[in-house]
Amino acid sequence: MTGTITKIAAVILLVSACSCRNGSTRQSGLSFPVADSVPAGEAVKLSEEAVADIVQNIASPVEIASILQSMEVPFSAGYLAPTQGADRLTTNFQKALMLGIYGADLGYLNMYEKTGNSVDVLSTIKRLADGLRVGQFFDFETIKRLSVSKSNLDSLLFLSVNSYNQIDRFLRDNNRGSISALMIAGVWIEGQYLATQGALNNTDEILRDRIGEQKIILGDLLMLLRPYSSSGEEYRTLYGMMEEISSMYSGVKVSYRLGEPETREEDGRLVMVQHEESIVEMSDAQLAQIAEKSKEIRNKLISGN
Amino acid sequence: MKNRILVISLALTILPLLAAGQPATDDLVSSCVIAAGENTTYLKDFRVQLPKAATNASAPVHKANMYLMKNMKYRFSVCDAPGSHGELYITLYDQGKELISSYNPGTGRKFSSVDFICNKTGLYTIWYSFVGGEQGSGVGVVCMIK
Repeated sequence: MTGTITKIAAVILLVSACSCRNGSTRQSGLSFPVADSVPAGEAVKLSEEAVADIVQNIASPVEIASILQSMEVPFSAGYLAPTQGADRLTTNFQKALMLGIYGADLGYLNMYEKTGNSVDVLSTIKRLADGLRVGQFFDFETIKRLSVSKSNLDSLLFLSVNSYNQIDRFLRDNNRGSISALMIAGVWIEGQYLATQGALNNTDEILRDRIGEQKIILGDLLMLLRPYSSSGEEYRTLYGMMEEISSMYSGVKVSYRLGEPETREEDGRLVMVQHEESIVEMSDAQLAQIAEKSKEIRNKLISGN
Repeated sequence: MKNRILVISLALTILPLLAAGQPATDDLVSSCVIAAGENTTYLKDFRVQLPKAATNASAPVHKANMYLMKNMKYRFSVCDAPGSHGELYITLYDQGKELISSYNPGTGRKFSSVDFICNKTGLYTIWYSFVGGEQGSGVGVVCMIK
């Protein structure tokens, strides 16, 4: 019965959340297109369809945090990017990248139910999103209320992740793919940092595998960033940094073992268990190098150097 | 199970009343996330709007690529928009090979969601389509199962 009440509360909160984002706010967001530092025509453009194909879930703000939490890796506030310097971010490049980084931090806080500590991060995200003219998709008041009250984690996670998804969709639909790519890169970099820091103090294979598997994803992330890498010093530097991380993966092997899937019905729902398997081979030394490089680059980016 | 049905029924009753005037797609995403059930965490939603299939042509498809991770359990749910002619279903592919679908054209059986227990990290393709190539609109929601 408690679960039922919680769900009903969730429904009401979600609807309230929708109510806060009224049509006029959306209209105002749509009526002020901004010129980002990479006009659509200047970059060597991937087709919109190709970019959209690449970016879906390339880096989720909650998946890495979910693994860390399920592995019982202890929460560390020291892993979070400091919010103090966020007011000094001036370019859209910096704002978009940091929006992604703080998004991953928000996912980390939420998954560990440290929501009472997330107000600073939320306020910073709101300011950055407003600075990029996408603040209309981030329902700050409702998310803050849910965070402070710790009343419903499911609603909080939904609203947080949905806000990022809506921002991403809006940016791509409005020819601001460079900003979307930066936000995604930011989420990935911070997720990578959280995962590698967690793995240094935890021998769990699932977490190690997840880090090793980033070799596959990093290739696509580089492809996503490549069109913009020749359009300015900031983009070129970021691309170079991502290539540095990629080079740390050169010795990591990902192989596949074939297997036939198994399908069954459970509680009226179709369930498929995949028996084909990806296998990661990564030594402790390789993990340490990847962790060190990821930390170095993430710290450079959050310090603005 | 009874609780879940009660919750979903209440959700579907309350949502339209409280959310009058709000963007319909967002409401549909919210209700679809709720219908995905407890112990799930929302990851992505796909808004699907497709025309009716032309005569003798295959059904229109909305395709999306998504990274899925080993050792994760995913739930793919579909919800039809009010007034949609067609019934939305999802089919998951791995490098062109069909893995699972929420609709079996042979039996006509359709599920509102399917679970995928992933053992291979990689880029998967999700196809959203409407039964019989009907015109329709709806949302597909992808959640992690905790």
